[in-house]
Amino acid sequence: MKKNESLFMNLKKSLSFNSKKEFVDFLVRVFFLICTIISASFIFIIIFFIAREGIKPFVTDNDGIGRVNIIRFLMGTTWLEGTVFRSNLYGVGFIIVNTVYITLLALLIAMPVGVLTALFIAKIAPKKLSEILRTTVELLAAIPSIVYGLFGSGVILKIVYDLAKVFGVQSPGGNSVLATVLVLALMILPTITALSEVAIRSVRSDIEKGSLALGATKTQTNFKVVLTSAKSGIFTAAILGTGRALGEATAVYLVAGNARSGPSLGLFQTTSTLTSTMLQGLKETIGIDYDIRFSVGIVLMIIILLTNTILNFVKRRIGKVDVK
Amino acid sequence: MSSKRKRIDNFLQFITYAAASIAVIVLSMIFIFVFRNGASLVNIDLLTNDYHAKYYNGGIEEVTEFSQTPKPNYLDDEDYYSEKWGIALSDEINREGKMVVIVTFVADDSPLLQMFDKNNLDNNDFKIEKDNIITSISFFSKNSALSMYGAKHMIGELDTVTEFREMVFSSLGGGIRGSLITTLYIIGLTLLIALPIGIFTAIYLNEFAKKNKLTNAIRSMIEMLTGVPSIIFGLMGLAVFVPLTVKYTPADSANLISGSLTLAVILLPVVIRATEESLKVVPDDFRNASLALGANSTQTTFKVVLPSALPGILTATLLAIGRIIGESAALIFAIGTAIKDDISIFGKSTTLAVHIWSLMTDEPANIELASTIALIILIIVLILNIAVKLLSRNFVKRFS
Repeated sequence: MKKNESLFMNLKKSLSFNSKKEFVDFLVRVFFLICTIISASFIFIIIFFIAREGIKPFVTDNDGIGRVNIIRFLMGTTWLEGTVFRSNLYGVGFIIVNTVYITLLALLIAMPVGVLTALFIAKIAPKKLSEILRTTVELLAAIPSIVYGLFGSGVILKIVYDLAKVFGVQSPGGNSVLATVLVLALMILPTITALSEVAIRSVRSDIEKGSLALGATKTQTNFKVVLTSAKSGIFTAAILGTGRALGEATAVYLVAGNARSGPSLGLFQTTSTLTSTMLQGLKETIGIDYDIRFSVGIVLMIIILLTNTILNFVKRRIGKVDVK
Repeated sequence: MSSKRKRIDNFLQFITYAAASIAVIVLSMIFIFVFRNGASLVNIDLLTNDYHAKYYNGGIEEVTEFSQTPKPNYLDDEDYYSEKWGIALSDEINREGKMVVIVTFVADDSPLLQMFDKNNLDNNDFKIEKDNIITSISFFSKNSALSMYGAKHMIGELDTVTEFREMVFSSLGGGIRGSLITTLYIIGLTLLIALPIGIFTAIYLNEFAKKNKLTNAIRSMIEMLTGVPSIIFGLMGLAVFVPLTVKYTPADSANLISGSLTLAVILLPVVIRATEESLKVVPDDFRNASLALGANSTQTTFKVVLPSALPGILTATLLAIGRIIGESAALIFAIGTAIKDDISIFGKSTTLAVHIWSLMTDEPANIELASTIALIILIIVLILNIAVKLLSRNFVKRFS
């Protein structure tokens, strides 16, 4: 009781203002605090509402269709068996595999290209050229994903279609794993390049000079000393690139071909990712076919969180040593 | 240096050059692709026309006084002219890539101007104009002249009669006026929501908040938003803002307000971070001087700190506009993909980016018009980027 009283006294004391000015000051401060609380709360709003909608298919009987079996959902190799709104046989297992597979391949292409470009901009290119290249990378980063999608379906699909013909495979319009991988690689390239460049430029110059003094050539130093010293930062670039590749939606949808079953591991097979599945045929805003998109959203968020955690763990392991 | 070492060095050097050229090649390929496919459609009409063509059915009484106007000189051989009816038609390809018969000239004394609207007899504004598309003309005593037979056939058939039963014509359609207006609305609404909240949050975090664990936690909560993919924001908009706006506004489904609210959440971390960066650059001497002169912290914030941070806030605004114009995945969920001509903030519509999406997911995809819109978006993004660069350069100069 006494404690409460003193708290009240304190509050009263802090709420008694000497002048109008101080009162206004207090009000403004409270208003700013409210704005801050609003900003900070959105991450919880997102998690709460997506979880609420996404759990529905697994816990309610979905207007008589019956619950979705969560094991089957996570292991399934077909998106939906039966008719929409009549069946609860959803599965995203193959889509998870597709998403991770595509992201991995995209990273495999974009990482070497991005890191080497960054090295070129930071260490090798003359000043004018590196300024031009930096602007190029910035512009690439600023291009909206829908434009990449348009470019993908107008140019990359044709290239992939012709390539498939060379290999004697019939690819439906070029929509394939390869096309998706290429588009994603292009999209994460600027992110990786920009961040790697920052990492490379922040390598201490005495390490570099030490290497040169030991008789290593400029190129040897760049590859063996600078890149290894910057690897922690380069890894951060990879992490952000992965996040972007996993979450990319519209561009992927336009080139993936949206396979309904899988997994698709062949380069010329049509495929689908978690994001492209979410975008597919949204018509109703009630019922199981609507709710299940939120379930896919939960899966996507968990996968992003998981890969981030794993990659951060790996980064800490390899980032310990400065130079080998 | 051994020759082997030299060879390896040269090879390694070469692959960095090759890698760097990829970025340049990709960027130029995107621009060339968009420009080649889209440049032909860029004109002012595209920006001012409706997307959905309006169809009219015109009827006419028997004509006794025909046009006297000879064929104007600027029309070429491709324009088929009927001196009797005072109208020139030509075959063209419309924005959907289909062959159409288009009106290229209507004489002032053309009897066609006396046509009345068969669907609405009181319609006094009813008039056939240049750039209208004629779908068909049906006559009383012979087969209709359809646009598939071409402009020459249509003019030939017209010349033999003195009256006809019905002329079906339409406005050009395929324009992006609706999406353009929607984009402007969305930019305005989103900034109206995101800027104040974002700026005030940044001020609180930078000027008022104690440097403790709680503040750091709040910062990382906001920072976490940047890692969330935009499609997840779209789902949130669908689950939170759409029902909210349906409940409290006249809207009955997804609408521009729910879209703007969703975008505002996406932009919050961008605005907050950019504002904080610019607040950090403002020297503490400014604050201390203001406080020493007897101003309270509110006055200091609004009259000293904020004006100095203004260029940074402007940068944030430009970045935000760029993001709004390019955003597609979130808006597909939060507003929908229906292309509209009559824009209401309580109704569905598409921004330019979602317009591209709608065109590309249509069967068959309309790559030409999509590329034209992409070209417009790219130009805007380019200008914004340059502006941001110039602004930040000036800003850094001011305090250093």
